[in-house]
Amino acid sequence: MTRKEIFERLEEVFHDIFDDSGIVLKDTTTAEDIEDWDSLEHINLVVAVEKCFGIKFTMGEVTGMKNVGEMADIIEERVK
Amino acid sequence: MNYFRYEDIQVGMEQEYCVRITDDMMERFKDITGDCNPLHTDEKFAEAHGYPKRIAYGMLTASFLSTLAGVYLPGERSLIQSVEIKFVRPVYIGDVLRVHGVVHEINDTVRQIVLKVDITNQKKEKVVRGGGKSRCVG
Repeated sequence: MTRKEIFERLEEVFHDIFDDSGIVLKDTTTAEDIEDWDSLEHINLVVAVEKCFGIKFTMGEVTGMKNVGEMADIIEERVK
Repeated sequence: MNYFRYEDIQVGMEQEYCVRITDDMMERFKDITGDCNPLHTDEKFAEAHGYPKRIAYGMLTASFLSTLAGVYLPGERSLIQSVEIKFVRPVYIGDVLRVHGVVHEINDTVRQIVLKVDITNQKKEKVVRGGGKSRCVG
């Protein structure tokens, strides 16, 4: 799966979780950029991303991701 | 009180309990919330609007999901994250409700338990359909 494809699928997940089809993701996107991205929605996001890509994050990864780019890095590594 | 750890929880596990809706519960709910809507407080008003008697507060019925998660499944280690509720039939004072939950999904990374919940009355009619997500604290 290419990084572009990962971002496309991630965007679909974000649109669904945050109920906002206008979200456009970049490597640098963080919770600061999306109004409803709070700690509870982060949990829902993690679960939805895991389901979407058929992967599991570690708790360290969940708490350590600084932005969407880092999330995509982990996904890229797992789906190789 | 149940003391299930996250590791004990499996999809398909079920718990249930029964509770009777009393006039005292209604009074206390009104005092706490300030909801004095006459459908819940005035028999004549309820009758005039097509109900046999005043209706129990929906959110009182919904509050039993808190007990289901916090006392039964998983019990002591539950921290409720979200609840979804549909009130499919009215509940009346004196009704005996069976509150039943089944583990629908578990999400290991975030130690989350997803319950499907149904509440039925003494006639076995479903009065609430819903579910909730809880974190099982370490």
